[in-house]
Amino acid sequence: MEIKGAYRIAATREQVWAALNDPEILKKCLPGCEKLEREGDNAFTATIKTKVGPVSARFSGAVTLQDLDPPNAYRIVGEGKGGVAGFAKGGARVTLRDDAGATVLQYDAEAKVGGKLAQIGSRLILGTARKLADDFFKKFSETVAPGTAAEKVALDAEGQAS
Amino acid sequence: MYEFEYQKPKTLAAAADVLKKKKDAKLMAGGMTLIPTLKLRLAKLSHVVDLAGMKDLVGIKATKAGVTIGAMTTHGAVAASAAVKKAIPALAHLADGIGDPAVRNRGTIGGSISNNDPAADYPAGLVGLGATVVTTQRKIPADKFFLGMFETALKRGEIVKAVEFPIPKRAAYMKFPNPASRYAIVGVFVAETADGVRVAVTGAGGCVFRVPEMEAALAKKFAPESVVGVSIPTDGLNEDIHASAEYRAHLVTVMAKRAVAAAIGG
Repeated sequence: MEIKGAYRIAATREQVWAALNDPEILKKCLPGCEKLEREGDNAFTATIKTKVGPVSARFSGAVTLQDLDPPNAYRIVGEGKGGVAGFAKGGARVTLRDDAGATVLQYDAEAKVGGKLAQIGSRLILGTARKLADDFFKKFSETVAPGTAAEKVALDAEGQAS
Repeated sequence: MYEFEYQKPKTLAAAADVLKKKKDAKLMAGGMTLIPTLKLRLAKLSHVVDLAGMKDLVGIKATKAGVTIGAMTTHGAVAASAAVKKAIPALAHLADGIGDPAVRNRGTIGGSISNNDPAADYPAGLVGLGATVVTTQRKIPADKFFLGMFETALKRGEIVKAVEFPIPKRAAYMKFPNPASRYAIVGVFVAETADGVRVAVTGAGGCVFRVPEMEAALAKKFAPESVVGVSIPTDGLNEDIHASAEYRAHLVTVMAKRAVAAAIGG
């Protein structure tokens, strides 16, 4: 399952890039993130508590940054185990582009869920993933450019931010 | 199931009090979603606050203006109610199609709308009929009650007491159910009310939504062919192993057409 989207952030590409690599900012913006600690240059351990309707599960796992191309793009990949609830893994390719003094951040994410969560919740996973991605990038935009509201950018037929 | 404390308060005020004081407490109405979730250990609660036994919350009252259904009234009771069948047959039909007999015998209208599952039937009924949700604190129009997937306008400690339905001129609900769970893959509620035509869709997106283009077309001419030309965009629609977003978008038009035909016919 794939989730795409784009946001226009009122900050320079360098500022956005720095924030994308700052565990403190990521932690603040990841919905339900209780812990995000640096393990290596581009590796982190994370604990995330998600709540979707009646279901709540706590995932612990690893987050890594790959294919770094500063300050243009990277891939953020995560994999976590949620105990009896099952497991989740996913990644997002994030690209940045200058846009008249601001930056357009575009993401292409995919998510996989297994175990009990997938068994009973398969019909809810896309909606949940979409909401988590939206919540994250909205908060991220607002954190990087304080005082401005997150501005969603529409995607064209090819899936590119116009 | 993880261990939790079971409470059965006598008053709504006492129930609200537990919810306010205990962060991991949850209300239970019929328990048709909560119990399976707990059994699978997909949730860990400190307290389950059972509303069973609050007689004030059970019952159906019909007047000339509308039907009021208590929050703890089961789907089975709504489906079998002579008063509902007479005033709003579409609503009795909707309740009769929820889940299976066991679910209809335990599940309640208050529980269903407070949970706001994206594929639940009642949200379409409430939005389609322009109902009003009566809570312990205020009255909320259905259009402002359902905010998103599993999200409602309810605040912590606020409890649904009843739902007030105005009587429409004519209405019908048609759904394409998942053959196993009977959840709506897509369900469409169409109603011609005193305030105009309303079309509410459940199952297709993250939350119930209205289709203004269909409402406008039906306001001009209340006939099945009016909605045939209206297709809804696939943006934001659900996609899973049962149906793609395109298929769901297609089903919205098909179900709307059938609902209009049923509303005219009955």
